Amino acid sequence: MISDVDHSVAEKRNRNVREDDIAMSCRVRLARNLAGERFPDWATEADRGRVFAAVSDALRVERPQVRVALIDGFDEQERDVLCESHLISKDLLGRPTGGGVAFESDKAYCVMINEEDHLRIQGFTHGLDMQKAWRTADELDTALEKHLKFAWSPQLGYLTACPSNVGTGLRAGAMLHLMGLRLLGEIEPVIRGLERMRLLVRGVCGEGSEAAGQIYQISNMDTLGTDESFIVSRIQRICAEVVRQEHNARVRLIRESPLVLVDCLARSLSVLQNARLLSTSEALEFLSAIRLGAALKLCTRLSVSDVDDMILVMQPGHLQKWHGVTMTSEERDEQRAFLLRGQMNGIRLKCGAVKAGR
Amino acid sequence: MKCEFCHKADAETAILLETDGEVKELFVCRNCAAAAEGAANKADGAHSASDPVGPPLPLMGMILDAAFEIVGRAMSMSDLTCPSCRITRNEYRKRSRLGCPACYEAFAKELDAAIFDLHRAQQHVGKAPQQAQADMRRRTIEEALSEAVRNQHFEEAIELRDRLRKLDAEKDGEKGQTA
Repeated sequence: MISDVDHSVAEKRNRNVREDDIAMSCRVRLARNLAGERFPDWATEADRGRVFAAVSDALRVERPQVRVALIDGFDEQERDVLCESHLISKDLLGRPTGGGVAFESDKAYCVMINEEDHLRIQGFTHGLDMQKAWRTADELDTALEKHLKFAWSPQLGYLTACPSNVGTGLRAGAMLHLMGLRLLGEIEPVIRGLERMRLLVRGVCGEGSEAAGQIYQISNMDTLGTDESFIVSRIQRICAEVVRQEHNARVRLIRESPLVLVDCLARSLSVLQNARLLSTSEALEFLSAIRLGAALKLCTRLSVSDVDDMILVMQPGHLQKWHGVTMTSEERDEQRAFLLRGQMNGIRLKCGAVKAGR
Repeated sequence: MKCEFCHKADAETAILLETDGEVKELFVCRNCAAAAEGAANKADGAHSASDPVGPPLPLMGMILDAAFEIVGRAMSMSDLTCPSCRITRNEYRKRSRLGCPACYEAFAKELDAAIFDLHRAQQHVGKAPQQAQADMRRRTIEEALSEAVRNQHFEEAIELRDRLRKLDAEKDGEKGQTA
């Protein structure tokens, strides 16, 4: 019986959950625009070309290892791969000629060119080391400003295409996996609390997206009136508190609702091991549950990073890139189910071990 | 005040109406303002058709609309186009995206209110480009120099002048290095 789970052992397992298992990654981005140039939404093709050339030149001087390319230069699958890897936004893909991207092989940073603003300088890290992501973006920004004159005013700071980004132009956010809070039915109050603190809570795909797989992006709303260090520290502190709440939810889940937890894991594993067709959103929901199981060490031979890899490679762009062909939606669903059946083959739940206290 | 269009409902906002090449400001009710905007949108429909961005964010649109409504009643309507990028107020309202950095100055009256609603702040605090920092330092010294001269504090004025010269020399040095 699940209710016979040895709580002390299960809780001990949860104590071993690393912060990175809940905080998947974080990102700090700076919006910058060139003085005297129209913002991309209103720019002509020639304007956008000029901005792309100026930014590319500056990047190549400051970061010799950088790969700078126009979005038009990528095929559809490569674009989807960039988007699914969260290096670029869907918005950039839908823009006319002149949109570009720059990154290095370690993908610690990425610059989107001619998205909503001329530059979106982004620093990334795993886990919740937001200060590191901020330092990466800040250093690149400072380096680029030697070559580019950014639009800035003493009153409003960095001037952006949308007034919602004016000031620091900084958006600091973390991607958190909040499956425990969801299973306990406590996610809504947490989101409401965050929104009352003037934070943005969005789904994994950014603005307007649902929180598929219970993966949430939490970021600052205000960009004017407080300095960058304060914004970054505040978001990091609040995200750390949400991580603590998720951790606590997982403890209570094991202690108070083990049946709910194991039922969720067992159902998800069964589907992933047997389904013949799986859409991206379905697969994400089930993998999200398995990710929780892996974090709690309730799945044999499966780590959290294994599940994170699966979440990435099962997405449409990665799937087609892997197979080297363009597929219809149904073909992708079939290949996704096939891929995940293979990955989940032989994986078992370790509820018995928990029960026996081993 | 009654609507200058239908003469029935109360006037709530101001619009611009161009007749025979002459632009007039009218105070109108909500319905007549919407009808006038609809007609204006039809007139520049060709531009909207090529809009790559789509509709503005609802929240941004609401905040901008609120700011326009408040400010629009009192402001002079002669500055409706950004002198730098030629974007009109109506155009950027539709997309909630400004045309260029100079728009912040051109539409300052309305934007100040919208920016305060968005951020609950009106003054930037934080990072500034190196060049802007140098310019601000220079401006501060120049102001102090004028003040010192006006008050006949010549020793202080000499010191401030030397600091300005030092800044100029540093700038020239940097230029030389870049070249």
